[in-house]
Amino acid sequence: MEKNKKLISGVLCLVLAVAIIVTTSMNFLAVREVPYPMMGPSVSEVKMLSDWNPNLKDTNGDTPVYILKGEKEGGSMLILGGTHPNEPSGYMSATLFIENAVVEQGTVYVIPYVNHSAATHNDPGEGNLQYFTLTTKSGERTFRFGSRATNPIDQWPDPDVYVHYPSGQQLSGSETRNINRAYPGRPDGNLTENMAYGVMELIRNEDIDIGFDLHEASPEYPVINATVSHQVSMDIASVGCMNLLMGGIEMSLEQSPTNFHGLTHREWGDASDIRAAILMETANASQGRLRGATTIEQVLGGRDKCYTKSLELGFLYVPWEEVGHPIEERCGRHLEGIKQYSLAHNEVNPEEPIVYSGVPGYQELYLDATREELDGTHLAKFLM
Amino acid sequence: MSIEFITFIVMIGVFLAGCFAANLPVGLSMVLSSVSGIIVGGFIGGLDLTLLDALRHMVEGMFAYVDTILVITCAMVFMKAIEKSGTLDAIASVIIEKFHKRPAIMLCLIMLIIMFPGMITGSSTACVLSAGSIMAPVLMMMGVPMLETASILAMGGLLGMIAPPTNLPAMMIGAGIDIPYSGFELPLAMMTFPLAFAFALMFGYKYVKNMNYEEVQAKLNTAGRKEFGFRIYLPLIVAVVLMVAAKMIPAFSIGMPLVFLISAVVAGFCGYKVNLAQVGKESVNSTMAVMGILMGVGMFIQVMTLTGVRGLIVTTCISLPGWALYVAAAISIPLFGAVSAFGAASVLGVPFLLAFLDKEEIIVASALSLIASLGDMMPPTALCGIFAAQVVGIEKYSAVLKKCLIPCLIVIAWALLFIVFANQLSFLIL
Repeated sequence: MEKNKKLISGVLCLVLAVAIIVTTSMNFLAVREVPYPMMGPSVSEVKMLSDWNPNLKDTNGDTPVYILKGEKEGGSMLILGGTHPNEPSGYMSATLFIENAVVEQGTVYVIPYVNHSAATHNDPGEGNLQYFTLTTKSGERTFRFGSRATNPIDQWPDPDVYVHYPSGQQLSGSETRNINRAYPGRPDGNLTENMAYGVMELIRNEDIDIGFDLHEASPEYPVINATVSHQVSMDIASVGCMNLLMGGIEMSLEQSPTNFHGLTHREWGDASDIRAAILMETANASQGRLRGATTIEQVLGGRDKCYTKSLELGFLYVPWEEVGHPIEERCGRHLEGIKQYSLAHNEVNPEEPIVYSGVPGYQELYLDATREELDGTHLAKFLM
Repeated sequence: MSIEFITFIVMIGVFLAGCFAANLPVGLSMVLSSVSGIIVGGFIGGLDLTLLDALRHMVEGMFAYVDTILVITCAMVFMKAIEKSGTLDAIASVIIEKFHKRPAIMLCLIMLIIMFPGMITGSSTACVLSAGSIMAPVLMMMGVPMLETASILAMGGLLGMIAPPTNLPAMMIGAGIDIPYSGFELPLAMMTFPLAFAFALMFGYKYVKNMNYEEVQAKLNTAGRKEFGFRIYLPLIVAVVLMVAAKMIPAFSIGMPLVFLISAVVAGFCGYKVNLAQVGKESVNSTMAVMGILMGVGMFIQVMTLTGVRGLIVTTCISLPGWALYVAAAISIPLFGAVSAFGAASVLGVPFLLAFLDKEEIIVASALSLIASLGDMMPPTALCGIFAAQVVGIEKYSAVLKKCLIPCLIVIAWALLFIVFANQLSFLIL
């Protein structure tokens, strides 16, 4: 009798375990499908990053590169979203650019999910959302909320200590899967280094003049509402930053530290002839260690009661008002930044300008919205 | 009362009830606690979760500890393999023969050997289960009681994890505000080696100073050395070479689990016969409970983060003024370490570093990592305590934790001193 009881409870536990494994496995497999932007008016071609680094072909590190070509020859610009797919304003700004930009002169390369692999999973322990849905012009569209680092299914295990190539800088082993510590990358390296190498090859082969890497940071992180620029582009960055400030956008400007390696704003400038290497940070309420419960309001509305408390305690590096930092403000900052820095680039390089229109900026995305629309609702109006 | 606070209370209550009232295994109690957190903080708290979301969060959280579990299991395979091959006895007898005349130096040397795997790999478990298992018989043969031996192993494991050149908690804390892992060597050395030698002497000196060598010599098992000669040491040499090679030449980095498994296989051919399949089975059996705890802990942290409990804890801890902030760091980081020392470094270490941002950040990050290491002595995970007890054969690891209480308090006080005088100690950063 006792034996039978044990057998029955064992079988029940096994059945329950199998049911949980099957259900959650199907869920984890489904998130490997990343929703891509639709083809905007200037998209002339969609290539893959493997066109610049063939090692990426048929891997989860390969990712679409949208090419927006103007009618007139001009300079060339690169925009990266999704360096960290847990920072939604990066890939949402890239998506907004692809679906709205009308490029008149020059060529713009946009990679919405530069670490494609990182968009296919979530960080264990962080309790993040997997998806969020917006009602766009074409109906409901679902977007992924991913991870900061390459999916361990694609690159595993991490070493105990990550040694950056070629500087030899040491970081925590998990940073091995962070593409923004992997530049300039190498073709005989791991998947993340190969992705970084693909971006570097794109920059070198397409003679990119100005490159943007769009990020978010937790509100308690010191570098926030900020632009970080390589020393080669401090002239362009200074002019652009002043124009942003005059337009009412709080923005600090920092020069890329020379002793911190692997980041876009350092290695793009060091390892290529790029004229401007610029990284921008906005405030993401869903990212920090001080944040409250995971909600859609936190991710898209940028509101969190824990951060309201943290502001009172003096822990934040950004202003924190009741409105929070909604996705409209964060994407507005990025897209306005791209506009102002590219205009500054055109002033410095009048023979090879990059001219585009149609992309909503800070005014259209944020200032023109009503308070109730500041949760992705207003931003969705600019998506196809 | 906020929903986060209620969720926290319910989770802790269910965990304690599971452990003490229902006598369930710790891992299972953590699972039940996580389920209660999802119900209260998620469903009742209005987080708009589906049942699939809840399952996904619980399964996803467990993946945080897959690597740790692999290291622990493989280290246990290595330990059992070198025990059965006779390598352990051989090394113990050699060390005693060579160094018995200088007991204090021998104790310090033994402590350094225990710390070595942690200094190279950043793992306290690696210290206790590899070098610790080799040194434990040496200490016990010299007359150090089991409990004191386990305490030396446990404290050696903690300090080995923090000692330079590899300190993962410091790397994690530094990465939180983008400090490269450079300039940490001397501060970390100052924080760990003096304490390590002091603890080795504190626990062992009174037993070894009057050691009767003839008596001890009679107990030494030198048969393996005589029968197999130099090759009996090969498993250990292979492990050390692979660890050091990974550190010196990153291309050789094959990961700690593989280092331990290769060395265990080598043990199978270098001494007495080892049935590797049997060793594997025994190792998995003896680490099963810890695996369950770690999986439960992963789930627990994910639910805490999801429901806002983590934010509540972190904000409360760092919101204290002046001196209370030091007290909060001293208490909350080790307490949070109950779920994982690395978790404590990442979740609380970074906010505390930000709170102490007016001080020299490398010194502060190093000191916070030292405090975070104590998480490995905090139940229910208490990896150092559990494995130290297991290596020497003590049934209840709580005795080891009790014995290590004063050293742990000394570690905290030492770390706090470094934080208080961080600016004055900035000369240590080279």
